[in-house]
Amino acid sequence: MIRETRSVPAAGLLLRSLVVQGVWNYRTMLGHGFAFALLPTLRRVYRDDPDGLARAIERHSEHFNAHPYLVPIALGAVARLETDGEGDEIIRRFRTAVRGPLGGLGDTLIWATWLPLVAVCSLLLYWSGVPAWGVVLAFTLTYNAGHLGLRLWGLRLGLDAGRAVGTRLNDVDLASWVHRLQTLLTGGLGLLCGVLLATPGGLSFTGAGSAWSLLAATAFVAGLVGGHRMWRPAAVLTVCVTGFIGLWGMLS
Amino acid sequence: MTEFVRLALLGGVLGLDATAVGQFMVSRPLVAGWIAGGMAGEPAMGITVGAILELFLLVSVPSGGARYPEGSTAAVVGVGVASSLDGPGAVALGVTLGLVWGQVGGWSVTMQRRVNGRLLRWRAFGGPESLGWSHALGITTDFLRGSAVTFSGMVLGRGALVLVDEHWPVSSAASTGVLYAGAAVSLGILLNDLGGLRRRRLMFVLCLTLGAAGASLL
Repeated sequence: MIRETRSVPAAGLLLRSLVVQGVWNYRTMLGHGFAFALLPTLRRVYRDDPDGLARAIERHSEHFNAHPYLVPIALGAVARLETDGEGDEIIRRFRTAVRGPLGGLGDTLIWATWLPLVAVCSLLLYWSGVPAWGVVLAFTLTYNAGHLGLRLWGLRLGLDAGRAVGTRLNDVDLASWVHRLQTLLTGGLGLLCGVLLATPGGLSFTGAGSAWSLLAATAFVAGLVGGHRMWRPAAVLTVCVTGFIGLWGMLS
Repeated sequence: MTEFVRLALLGGVLGLDATAVGQFMVSRPLVAGWIAGGMAGEPAMGITVGAILELFLLVSVPSGGARYPEGSTAAVVGVGVASSLDGPGAVALGVTLGLVWGQVGGWSVTMQRRVNGRLLRWRAFGGPESLGWSHALGITTDFLRGSAVTFSGMVLGRGALVLVDEHWPVSSAASTGVLYAGAAVSLGILLNDLGGLRRRRLMFVLCLTLGAAGASLL
């Protein structure tokens, strides 16, 4: 459970953080959502000061960007600063200082590690013959255990640490967690490639399967060497080959 | 058509999950495909199309301001159309349509974000009430966008592919072979993101061998 810290409605902050990207836009990015998530806290802090409330909303609606799962860290810390009565400029500077690190850290931890790890393991289950509902359940529960756990932990950290959140984040050493998870992901990726090559439902070594295995190996090497710029050509080629097969069938 | 409308509503809800609400990742093709398949009465086909699209989109994530193929739209449109076809090319055609329509979905997300920017300027929010309303309006328009893109994808896709499916010349296995070969590029890209074969080479090769041996024995 989340402890209510002074006048911060922590559960509401956590729930509203789930829609922090509700009006994501290229001008303020998460800014509007950030103000929306903080609104109950601001209403308490500026209970008898409508002008102060309007100024605070304007301040928090300014440009802000971070990984959505780590936004609760910033929300908690800013809520703490607001309840502690810190000045406009300090809060503005704090928001500016945390957005970069929270974006970079979240992208590495979640988008480049946790999501592919859970997805690869789930695909492995699927091609190993686990029933579809089991695969979907495994993916959804495992992924969201990490996702919601991270949001909850982040909010607590932000509320407890306030302005010292950067130091506390350094103490956690998330980089070593990323390293461990990426080692697991490499193993999972190897297993998935092996299963896809050998399973009867995938690219089998026998008969016509060997031609597809050779093509798949070529595509794999192209991706390994060329990186992300190879994705679009591969997708376009797949669409073209399927289109050609369809055209051939219609003309013959 | 009623089924397409229901699936379009699903596309709208899952489109919200991708960015605007929650990001529980039920919008990933693997999950979205299975749900869409269940709604269309073809859960096995749903997860097959979803799993192959997931392989393709493993390296595509809803990160920041980047334009990315929308996985939920790709999966719901692909499964919706594939489940309405009868031939051996249904899965291949569904996945292919999903790949194309995922790009359309990605483009519509970019447009939605521009509309959001204008919406916030137009509402000129000054008080707490307008903050909530503009937030709700942004989420509602995103839902409508997801539904409209999904519906149009299914209607156009089915119209274009039903004739192709009737004359599909190759077996189901060969058709999915094309898809696996194309999707393998994403596995290579993911390994590249992890540092390529310079790092953890032994781990990758050992697990590859183990996976292949295990799958052969099963």
